[in-house]
Amino acid sequence: MSKLLSPANCEVLFMGNEAIARGALEAGVSVASGYPGTPSSEIVENLATVAGERNLYVEWSTNEKVALEVAAAASFAGLRSICSMKQNGVNVASDFLLHLAGSGTRGGIVLVTCEDPGALSSVNEGDSRYFARMLEIPLLEPANFQEAKDLTRWAFELSEEIRNVVVLRSVTRMSHASGNVICGKLSGRSPRAEFVYNGSIMDPLRGPVNSTPVIPKHILQQEKLKKAAALFEKSPFNTYSGPRKPELLIITSSACFLYSQEAINMLSLQKRVGILKLGCTWPLPIKLLKKHLKSTKKIMIVEEILPFLEENVKTLAADMAGETGVKKYYGKMDGTLPTVGELNPDLVAEALSKILKVKYQSLPAGYLREIKKIVPMIPPREQTFCPGCPHRASFWSIHNALQLDGREGIVCGDIGCYALAGLFPSCGFNTVRTLHSMGSGTGIASGFAKLGQFGFDKPVVAICGDSTFYHAALPALINAQHNRADITFIVLDNSGTAMTGFQPHPGLTVSAVGETVPAVDIAKMCKSIGAKVTISDPFDLDKTCKILTGFMEESECLKVLILRQICALSPEKKGKKKFLMKVDEEVCRGENCGCNRLCTRIFRCPALVWDRIKKKAVIDDVMCAGCGVCYSICPQKAIIRTEAEKK
Amino acid sequence: MVSKTGKLSSQDLLKKNVLETDLCTGCGACVGLCPYQLIYHDRTVQLHRCDLDDGNCHAFCPRSEIDLGLLRSGLFDSADLTPEIGAVKGYYLSRATDAKLREIAQHGGTVTALMELALARGLIDSAIVSSGPRDFEQNSIKVEDRAGLRRKTGSKFTVSPTVAAFNQISAQNSQNIGVVATPCQALALAKMKLKLLKNDTGNIDKLKIVVGLYCGWTLSAEKFKALLLRNNIDSGTLTGMDIPAGKKALELHAGNVTKLIPFADVQPCIRKSCGYCFDSTAEYADISVGSARFGNEWEEMREWNQLIVRTAKGKELVDLARKCGVLEIREVPVGMLKELKKAAAEKKRTALKNIIKKSGSAKNLLYLKSSDSIVKKYLEKNR
Repeated sequence: MSKLLSPANCEVLFMGNEAIARGALEAGVSVASGYPGTPSSEIVENLATVAGERNLYVEWSTNEKVALEVAAAASFAGLRSICSMKQNGVNVASDFLLHLAGSGTRGGIVLVTCEDPGALSSVNEGDSRYFARMLEIPLLEPANFQEAKDLTRWAFELSEEIRNVVVLRSVTRMSHASGNVICGKLSGRSPRAEFVYNGSIMDPLRGPVNSTPVIPKHILQQEKLKKAAALFEKSPFNTYSGPRKPELLIITSSACFLYSQEAINMLSLQKRVGILKLGCTWPLPIKLLKKHLKSTKKIMIVEEILPFLEENVKTLAADMAGETGVKKYYGKMDGTLPTVGELNPDLVAEALSKILKVKYQSLPAGYLREIKKIVPMIPPREQTFCPGCPHRASFWSIHNALQLDGREGIVCGDIGCYALAGLFPSCGFNTVRTLHSMGSGTGIASGFAKLGQFGFDKPVVAICGDSTFYHAALPALINAQHNRADITFIVLDNSGTAMTGFQPHPGLTVSAVGETVPAVDIAKMCKSIGAKVTISDPFDLDKTCKILTGFMEESECLKVLILRQICALSPEKKGKKKFLMKVDEEVCRGENCGCNRLCTRIFRCPALVWDRIKKKAVIDDVMCAGCGVCYSICPQKAIIRTEAEKK
Repeated sequence: MVSKTGKLSSQDLLKKNVLETDLCTGCGACVGLCPYQLIYHDRTVQLHRCDLDDGNCHAFCPRSEIDLGLLRSGLFDSADLTPEIGAVKGYYLSRATDAKLREIAQHGGTVTALMELALARGLIDSAIVSSGPRDFEQNSIKVEDRAGLRRKTGSKFTVSPTVAAFNQISAQNSQNIGVVATPCQALALAKMKLKLLKNDTGNIDKLKIVVGLYCGWTLSAEKFKALLLRNNIDSGTLTGMDIPAGKKALELHAGNVTKLIPFADVQPCIRKSCGYCFDSTAEYADISVGSARFGNEWEEMREWNQLIVRTAKGKELVDLARKCGVLEIREVPVGMLKELKKAAAEKKRTALKNIIKKSGSAKNLLYLKSSDSIVKKYLEKNR
């Protein structure tokens, strides 16, 4: 049995995302949707594993906007639904979210956003809490693993109480860390989907669902928010711990609560500092805040990324200053805490030590001196593509084709594992020049290709992954064709949403729960747009390069090259070598070869190692994935490949 | 890229001093030695960065620094040397005895006849020539028999990476190689012969004979293709081309049809590097062959070649050709040598003028050395 279905009162070690999934199950969720994105993916993944047993409908959607629309339909039909995504996914979903917040909802619906302070697995540090304020919907932030479950369960109740969507925000250290959680009772509901639409337009439960008439519905929406604020005043998720009259009050939420607690303990400030931990961070509970502001003169707001909570507290504090008196605030706005990157107990402790004039040194004496000695001993290891990764081969050919073309063509990058080529240029052989949001490479390329009348005459290449193709590249590709932008569009098709853990996408014949579904063919779609389409195996370096140089020379048409090769880490490939690779020591001329270590200096597959004693290349058998590509790059043909025996 | 020794790497020197200054002749001397340098279309491409110094790529380049005095004294009999056209052991008119060969050849078929003979007699096992006339983005290829050679006759007026082919083929099974080379290619091969680098692991000793071609300039394949397109000429149908004496036009043959393109239109298609070339007669070859374009009777002279024998090896081959009746050889008309020397000297002066214009100073002659006596001679006349 999945631990997600543990009986009530059991204490289970849950990853934050598992706790959120369990909370949804306890709430009796029926529909779960999402688009994969670190650190959010495990919510839908875990719910998919119990879909059969719990009679859930679970899907990976084409993108976050569609995911939220799918979840909303369930809500409109009276079911409870959850929709998960990473922080920037909320931007994608936000147009629909604006209108959904205006129309209101029926069955409980929770939008979970898992955010990534410090951009550990993102190319942004987006703080989507502002969407809750901007779109006037409630925001909840669990501060530990138990709360991740409990607050999720309560979020459904809140959603049904106010008949609107509720945002639950987690962060990497909450979603991806694990902690003990005492399970509640799994829901025994077996609801029927029923969509009633023939009531009056203003009937929130029986009328058609839309955001018009806008003004009356907007008024209604704001009343819902006031109702939420009233509920937050009494919510058990907003707690205070500390002295009755603290010298300093910390107001915090999310993982920052844990950092603050730890910092107070480290500095033994339990008697001087109190913590007001808020689980409900938008709209803020005014009375609760007033009570605590009255208790102290100094307030520090501890939160990650932008001063969202700080702004909101200060706005309310300005209104109540007559009653509470003027306070001294510490936080991001005065520079006490950084407005970028993750926080940690050290940063909070340092802030506390400065404010309260307590001695604190985060690093022991001599620590930095010792570090300086040790660092040079650590073997340098770069962030790069895995051994056997099709992207290395693809970028090799893209690079070579651009060099042969000789017009300094540019590559517009996109989001996926292949974004590494934009982040660490050498692993993409220094080709990728722009990197933004999903699908943006194609749109940017489409724009670059239209700058000819201003003298821009370089060939323009866009790359995108197979999952990204469906997510957001397709409209941009259609734009390129419609506006006659003669770009070369390359789909790095590794047959899955590889970066986030091989979640299926519309190009595959399997759904989130393992059912057989029709595949949507990328090549056929591109052909129907009117593009010239070719498919190649990126491991065939010569063929791929030839197609690309041909494409770049060809003007006045949209060219699509689909580079198809399964990810080396995919379940069907992992651990199975197609080739057994070996360097023939007799043939490798080592440092006497004119190649100047092409294999380990330029190509740099992690499985290719330069033997410093023999001064020759060797293959690290453990690392090697047996893709055989290095066979094609050695000018001396010293790398031998033999077909591995099929087991 | 700075090399390990802190200097500019050889590849960067090439980039800075040759490729980016439009001096690259496309000869291919820097190609085929490593995975970093390539010829694509007729451009030299640096595929990836290399941080080695003292690289053969730079040393072999006919447009990297050259000591012409050293080359002339090292490779030729000093008694044979002339300032204008290099070493001359003998100067003749020649043509292939085989009329069928003359029919498909550019002029007298001398080059093909000599290479055929060298192959037939086992003096060489491989001949490197440029590929067919229809393919303007030429590849040099290896041929091992007469039939192969005869398919490759005729001049193409675009450059072939002949020295790249030598680099590649000499590293393989071929033991004795003959090369048909333009002046820049012959110069690169001559630089290889001097073995200036200690770490030279090349196979230059496999080079048995170089038959040089007179050359005034070559065309940029890219630009020339565009010109043909503008003139509604399908490059695929071309069977040959020539520059008839006195016509100021490029003659294009497509089967029986002949078309003329005014020279003024062709001029912009000439490779920029040709303007800095100091050699029109392939001075560093064993034998040099050109059209016999001097004199008034062009149509009659068209079937003949000029032939300069420069080295003992060259003399051996020509003597053998004469002995076996492969070549018909005639003495040159009076005044022809003088005319050739005058034209060659003019080319040298023009090259120096262009070089000084580019560098901005007579003290900086790019790849040539102002201390070189032969350079000095034409430099003085230039002033």
